[in-house]
Amino acid sequence: MTGTAARPAAPEGADDDVVGPSSSAVPVVPAERLRAKRRADRKRRLTVLLLLSPWIIGFLVFTLYPILNSFYWSFTVKRYGSPARWVGLANYELLFTNDELLTALGNTAYLAVFGMPVRIGIALLAAALLVRARRGNGVYRTMFYIPSIVPAVASGALFFFLLKEGGPLSGLFGLFGAEAPLWFRDPQWAKPALIMVTTWALGDLMLILLAGLVDIPRSLYEAAELDGAGRWAKFRHVTLPMISPVIFFIVLTGLVGVLQSFDQAYVFSQGVREGRLTGEPGGSLLTYAMLQLRLFQDGRIGFASAMAWVMFLITFIITMVMLATRRRWVHTATEEWA
Amino acid sequence: MTRSRRFLGVVGQHSVLIGLAVIFALPFFFMLLQSVTPIEEAKTSVLWPSSFDFGNYGEVFDRVPLARYIRNTLVVCALVVTGTIVSCVPVAYAFSHMRWRGRGVVFVLVLSTMMLPFQVLFVSQYEIFSNLGWLNTILPLVVPAFFANAFSIFLLRQFFLTLPSETIDAARADGASELQILTRIVVPMAKPGIMAVAIFQFLFAWSDFFGPNIYLSDEANLTLAVGLVRLNTAAARLGESNLTMAASVIFVMPLVVIFFFAQKVFIEGVTLTGTKG
Repeated sequence: MTGTAARPAAPEGADDDVVGPSSSAVPVVPAERLRAKRRADRKRRLTVLLLLSPWIIGFLVFTLYPILNSFYWSFTVKRYGSPARWVGLANYELLFTNDELLTALGNTAYLAVFGMPVRIGIALLAAALLVRARRGNGVYRTMFYIPSIVPAVASGALFFFLLKEGGPLSGLFGLFGAEAPLWFRDPQWAKPALIMVTTWALGDLMLILLAGLVDIPRSLYEAAELDGAGRWAKFRHVTLPMISPVIFFIVLTGLVGVLQSFDQAYVFSQGVREGRLTGEPGGSLLTYAMLQLRLFQDGRIGFASAMAWVMFLITFIITMVMLATRRRWVHTATEEWA
Repeated sequence: MTRSRRFLGVVGQHSVLIGLAVIFALPFFFMLLQSVTPIEEAKTSVLWPSSFDFGNYGEVFDRVPLARYIRNTLVVCALVVTGTIVSCVPVAYAFSHMRWRGRGVVFVLVLSTMMLPFQVLFVSQYEIFSNLGWLNTILPLVVPAFFANAFSIFLLRQFFLTLPSETIDAARADGASELQILTRIVVPMAKPGIMAVAIFQFLFAWSDFFGPNIYLSDEANLTLAVGLVRLNTAAARLGESNLTMAASVIFVMPLVVIFFFAQKVFIEGVTLTGTKG
């Protein structure tokens, strides 16, 4: 590193061509310094490249190549270990002409439309109650957060037990003389069961909302109080607009996430239909599960690739539409939110 | 008047909090209770067992190679954590304390890979690993970790940016190489941040089901997550949910312990990714 400037610059021929006219007008020493600087620059560029190399290799091998590959496969018929045969848009036609994808998308949309408001609502309620520093809040916060560190398959197994026929929840239903639904047999009930598990694990949402609430300046509430605002008015006109960027972020990542929800549905269905690779509790097939089903049970890689790309496009469109309409959702005084 | 109203408000808030807390804790309660319910009663629908049978925990080790699963999971976790730290720290350093042309553009590219749905990747990744002969080994789970991931790069960069750049510039002026700055100054100062990333990666590797489920098949190679699902499937048929719950407790407990030891790191990490993402 040190001492490079002292070395003669003779072997650097290839790099010297840029110096040209400007250097001829300047004395010798700055030109020498310029060369040294350029050598240092090149060394720095190499260092940067070296530091970045794990990511560059990983990006090329595990991201870029697989994406392009699956894009190509989506126009082919292919099985693992055998070459792909070009079929044009046939996979996409098949996808949109049979009901399976629509069912899966519908069920996924159900989880998004009914699940997310519940999750966000309860998380916001918990966060709003915890925002003011009070004794015991740390304990509550921990209790609300801990379920979200439970791995999805474990919470799936746990709720599978809680909700099963004769399980604790049906016992609780029984205490009130009501009859519990058959959560895993009936597609009508399998989805609420899935929403229940994911709602239990809302700790991350709560923490993010809590951080957002803490950032709201007290002065806004004081001003609202001076204007005679009650609790609801303060929530509606101060809290909600100020927290809207955070909610926007949660909705966006939540929508993208629900398209990939898989683990719990897989666990729920396994107990019922043993041995089959499903992810389909009683007909409530999810998109991600459908993809895996076609891929590993049927080995239809071309079809699965087409489906992956459709899901990718849906994700992309959701993201773009949300970003484009962001101003309508989000209070604009907080533009620094990305 | 206002005082009593405020008092009522506080009471109201506390009762909502307590209600929520009970609802959130109840599943854990039933998990623990069922894990010590004797087998005959586990098959019935009694809410409270007549006696506690801690033998379930031993039974589950006999029934499935749980010790083996734990060992496999720990090996995967250790390699994933090591790989992530070793590969992401240099990348995050280049994105935080070095200036170079195109840095902003490349960083956006890194972040955009976070948005990519996993499904467009794994269809083809599976064939890559299959061609390499890596199926039914842990290699597909751990090797990619050594090639940096966007989430950890982002998190580490955020931590690195909080370090005083004066110290780093001073070292640079004294002629220290970038590698020296990274290993002697940045890494020691950013230990809490590196710890946070290590914990998140451990958590991820410990919990991951999707990867191990498609890449591992032999009983002897399974991780806890896959083992638990298989046990759940088998036990559900026999009505032995007490064993599933005992295995779940063993699976979840380490994470709860880690959470209590590293609560602050956790909460900072979640809020950081959540608000700045």
